[in-house]
Amino acid sequence: MANRSSDVHDVRAEMVANVLSIQVSLGEVVTVGQQLLLLESMKMEIPVLSDVAGTISEIAVSPGVVIQEGDLLFRVS
Amino acid sequence: MTDTINPRDPQFRMERVVDADSLHLLTQRDKSGMLAAQGKVNGAKVALFSTDATIQGGAMGQAGCDVILAAYEYALREKCPVIGLWHSGGARLTEGVASLDAFGKVFAAMTHASGKIPQISLVLGPAAGGGAYGPALTDIVILGPDGRVFVTGPEVVKSVTGESVDMARLGGPEPHGRRSGVVHVVAEDDDDAYAATRRLASLLGNQGTMTPDLPEVDLAGLLPESSKRAYDVHPLIDGVLDAHDDTQELHPKWAPNIVTTLGRLGGRTVGVIANNPLRLGGCLDSSSAEKAARFVRMCDALGVPLLVLVDVPGFLPGVGQEWDGVVRRGAKLLHAFAEAVVPRVTLVTRKAYGGAYIAMNSRALGATKVFAWPGAEVAVMGAVAAIRILHRRLLADVPAEQRESMELELAAEHEKISGGVARALEIGVVDEIIEPTETRSALARAILAAPARRGAHGNIPL
Repeated sequence: MANRSSDVHDVRAEMVANVLSIQVSLGEVVTVGQQLLLLESMKMEIPVLSDVAGTISEIAVSPGVVIQEGDLLFRVS
Repeated sequence: MTDTINPRDPQFRMERVVDADSLHLLTQRDKSGMLAAQGKVNGAKVALFSTDATIQGGAMGQAGCDVILAAYEYALREKCPVIGLWHSGGARLTEGVASLDAFGKVFAAMTHASGKIPQISLVLGPAAGGGAYGPALTDIVILGPDGRVFVTGPEVVKSVTGESVDMARLGGPEPHGRRSGVVHVVAEDDDDAYAATRRLASLLGNQGTMTPDLPEVDLAGLLPESSKRAYDVHPLIDGVLDAHDDTQELHPKWAPNIVTTLGRLGGRTVGVIANNPLRLGGCLDSSSAEKAARFVRMCDALGVPLLVLVDVPGFLPGVGQEWDGVVRRGAKLLHAFAEAVVPRVTLVTRKAYGGAYIAMNSRALGATKVFAWPGAEVAVMGAVAAIRILHRRLLADVPAEQRESMELELAAEHEKISGGVARALEIGVVDEIIEPTETRSALARAILAAPARRGAHGNIPL
């Protein structure tokens, strides 16, 4: 889910989904396993968890938008 | 050997796999670049071979391949697991086509032994060409921290395709653990790699006998309150299995929407297959179906009973999936379950929809027993989705502000006739509703009641 390029980690979408809500804010320090946002797909509410620890340096989506597989959701640095 | 032991020494490496002082060489130390031995893991016999990376980087010729064949002969005679330790640049160039022929004989021996004895590979260094396909033909591939697996190395890749890549990115833990599915277990360090090898040799080679009266755990608390909410299935698997460290997940990062784990229930080895709603909502897709199918076939061939924990919303829709061969690769899972003769027990924890319901060891595919927890749903699709199709015209004619209440009404009606677990019980596709607090004993009893058979087939690396 996350790509490693130097110290910046991209958190990308695993599947097509609607963004229901975002649980973190820009600049927030997150830990491994912390819930970043909630997606809705296949009639399920699916949390996206951070697989790295760091600071949220970019939020690329907002509630209500439809995301495609591979879309950038967050940058964690 | 000199006073300081070379960490690449094959005997030193094999000694780290087996119980202390249990290693006995089956072949002589010579210039073949390979050594075979027998030993014990937790008291049970195993055969081993190891490439000798101190000679020509572990390159293999005829003599070396004969050593592997000796290890296989021993393992087949003793009906014990065979463990291969790999660190090899591939065929010995100096021997030319003779070394290729010898490799071919090893591949044939591995294939003929497939499904008869457990075969485990531990890759400790670069394993290229034939050194890659050797492990690939076995049941389990464990990758040590310095293990690299590829057909052709970075230099050849560069000269042919122009791609610049190092060994780790070409064939290390990241590509093989997450993308390719070549490797079942990625170890963090050498100790971890040897421990995983011992654990798997024990689980597959020393399966034990099951006791039916098991301490129960309240598993209900491991599901979220909302039936729509995704959750991680790992704690549920841990709760079902005996609580000790003799548990090994295979392919944890590849196709993580399905979990395949070897562990013990009542002391006996079982294979668990579980949808993981946290990843892709727990949908089946092409990779996860293939991963599960191979696991089912391995367990069937080696006589390991299966527990199938079902919470699946369906097959993942999409152009990418269709083009990825989800029809062909999904069919592997149908085939694997329908073919399997080991005891295989299904538990529907929350929901089983559509084609994925069939694929997850349904009654029709020959499940030994199908249990469901109270409140589970077995249906073609969720009730609301179903009535939107069935009553499309009716709903279109209703004013928009009344549509939602109409939908809920129709959905409730639909659940009664085709959705809920009551209907599944009535037509016999679910045998019994069990409580989360009696699940472990119910699963164990169902396995014990079935004849202990095993499939008469190999384990082709699907």
